[in-house]
Amino acid sequence: MINLLGLIAAITAFFSIWFGHVAVRKIESISPTIWIPSTIFIILGIACEWISLKAFSLQIATIFGILGITLLFDSFELSRQQRRIMKGHAPANSDNPRHAKILKEYPAATTMDLLKREPMGLSLAIPDDSRVMKK
Amino acid sequence: MMSFFGLLIGIVTLFIIGLGFPLVIQGERRFSYLCWPYMMGIGFVIIIVSLSISINWLAVVTGVVGATFVWGSTELKEQAVRAEIGWYPFNNRKVLLPFAKIIEKWKAPHL
Repeated sequence: MINLLGLIAAITAFFSIWFGHVAVRKIESISPTIWIPSTIFIILGIACEWISLKAFSLQIATIFGILGITLLFDSFELSRQQRRIMKGHAPANSDNPRHAKILKEYPAATTMDLLKREPMGLSLAIPDDSRVMKK
Repeated sequence: MMSFFGLLIGIVTLFIIGLGFPLVIQGERRFSYLCWPYMMGIGFVIIIVSLSISINWLAVVTGVVGATFVWGSTELKEQAVRAEIGWYPFNNRKVLLPFAKIIEKWKAPHL
């Protein structure tokens, strides 16, 4: 007999990771603060876990259990995304006052999305020893 | 009455998703991003296998592992760019899996 619980978990995990991935990037980019969206994600995550604890069916418990944990992780990811902006690993939004401040304070921060291109199959990194001017 | 099944599954899912990061990093470093159809295929096979598992918690864990492989396959292209620009170590002696030349002509998925 076919057990659909694994498939339900797989679909929930995939779509909640996808949603979190896109939502964290978008919300961090436009939000003037980190703590407000983080708090909303925490509340939603706890609410989902509560529903999962009270659920009568394993299917509902699985869906909300996975969704809740990914929402809680997304609240933490918002801060990590901000650190990526500081390091230039994600594009800053100059229209966002928080990002404008980061652009001023962190030399590595940039508005360019350095990941938005096709792989070329060769290293484009500058070797450390070639960054120092040789006498 | 409370059921801790969902909460425990959520916590286990978090750890499995965490294992997806080294999976993507090592997969790209060793086999290049062109291994994405293999990783995606393995993920779908694992999900299909989960349908035949009668133990609920094991079926869920298997399904989530499969989903992590499918998700990982969509992250390989971006990981290749990260390695090329020096954010991760670049391996220029990657082992190309069969049909890599054909796969190169396909658009790698990215979400």
